[in-house]
Amino acid sequence: KDKSASSEDSTPEGAAKRQEDGPETPKQQLLDIIGGMKVEVSYRKKLQRLKASESKKQAMNKLEGLDSEGSVPQGITEDTQRGKPLNPELVKAASLVASSLPRNKKQTESELLAQLRRHEETTDTQKKGGTINIRNVISEMTIKRQSPAQRAARISGHISLQLEEDGQRRRRERSSAQSMDSKRSLKVGKRLNIFTKASAEPEHALKTVSSPTIWDLEFAKEVAAVTAQPPRNGFEEMIQWTKEGILWEFPIDNEVGMEDDAEFYEHIFLEKHLEGFPKEGPIRHFMELVICGLSKNPYLSVKQKVEHIEWFQKYFEEKKELLQEI
Amino acid sequence: PCPRQVRSYYVDWRMLRDVKRRKMAYEYADERLRINAIRKNSILPKELQEVADKEIAALPRDSCPVRIRNRCVLTSRPRGVKRRWRLSRIVFRHFADHAQMSGVQRAMW
Repeated sequence: KDKSASSEDSTPEGAAKRQEDGPETPKQQLLDIIGGMKVEVSYRKKLQRLKASESKKQAMNKLEGLDSEGSVPQGITEDTQRGKPLNPELVKAASLVASSLPRNKKQTESELLAQLRRHEETTDTQKKGGTINIRNVISEMTIKRQSPAQRAARISGHISLQLEEDGQRRRRERSSAQSMDSKRSLKVGKRLNIFTKASAEPEHALKTVSSPTIWDLEFAKEVAAVTAQPPRNGFEEMIQWTKEGILWEFPIDNEVGMEDDAEFYEHIFLEKHLEGFPKEGPIRHFMELVICGLSKNPYLSVKQKVEHIEWFQKYFEEKKELLQEI
Repeated sequence: PCPRQVRSYYVDWRMLRDVKRRKMAYEYADERLRINAIRKNSILPKELQEVADKEIAALPRDSCPVRIRNRCVLTSRPRGVKRRWRLSRIVFRHFADHAQMSGVQRAMW
């Protein structure tokens, strides 16, 4: 048995071949071997031996009489098999193996038992002729985190599938499957923000606060001059011009450099700034005309309009003595 | 940010003076607008308007936009300057014939 295990080291399917051998009281032999084994033997060989023993025991159990079970719906069998206890000999073997290993004994034991359970399930389902229920197998394995980009791609793929007809649906499935299967997917990676306005992305680079000395500036200039290769093609030239500001950014944004945070009512309803003026008289009349004109002016910002009004206020206050003579 | 005097070369001194006038006109533009609004008015009393007249006359001479002359950008020629290109007619013709003016072609009809 040792020779067979060592010869077929790489293939765990060696267990299937060993099923053909008759049961030669393998339990006792296995236990003796494991008890006398040294730590130098690899973990893999032990696993395969365990698998071999377990598969033989399964064969024995099947021969004894599991025919009564028949083909039950898979979900129920899988769940019941979970609860079904492992063979006590297997448990003993696993504990002996774990004890012989230098690492965490209880952890290895539990891992071995989990592996055995999984293999039992798969072999059972294969023998019954049904497809393997991956759900249980996967649930025990650790969850690999999907990147949000891939998740979003899948969700969008699902939504598009629902909305379109059958013929198109298959095409979309294939194309989305291709984009997901190939190693380089389209929706992964940092966005260049060429066609959408660059939202305020938090800059990942740390900003070191320090007064840049003249030597630092000179060094930065030297580095920039050395690394700035002349543009190889028209695209790079256009990129350079866009950075410098010679070329506008496309799609053309009519409001570049014009950030007016004020709403429309702040531009039009300027009467609240007129509080410092007398309510009657020619000055009020004059100021109302001023406000009417300012409200119709789309080129000034709210600040500039308010400055105009304030200047007039100051001017008329200075000339108050003059006005009272009149 | 530079501590020393900036020495750049304009085509001639007249161009430099024109540049200075433009800068001053930009600085005083708002004030001139406001004082003129008071002056060109039929509502306010005339005394106020006379005072405004005196005030605007007291502003520096170079601050009025009327003194700006649209010179040629390359040769500082005061006459024969096309506004769209800011160039004198001679320079314009020179560049257009060498096909360095985008979209400009010799007329033929």
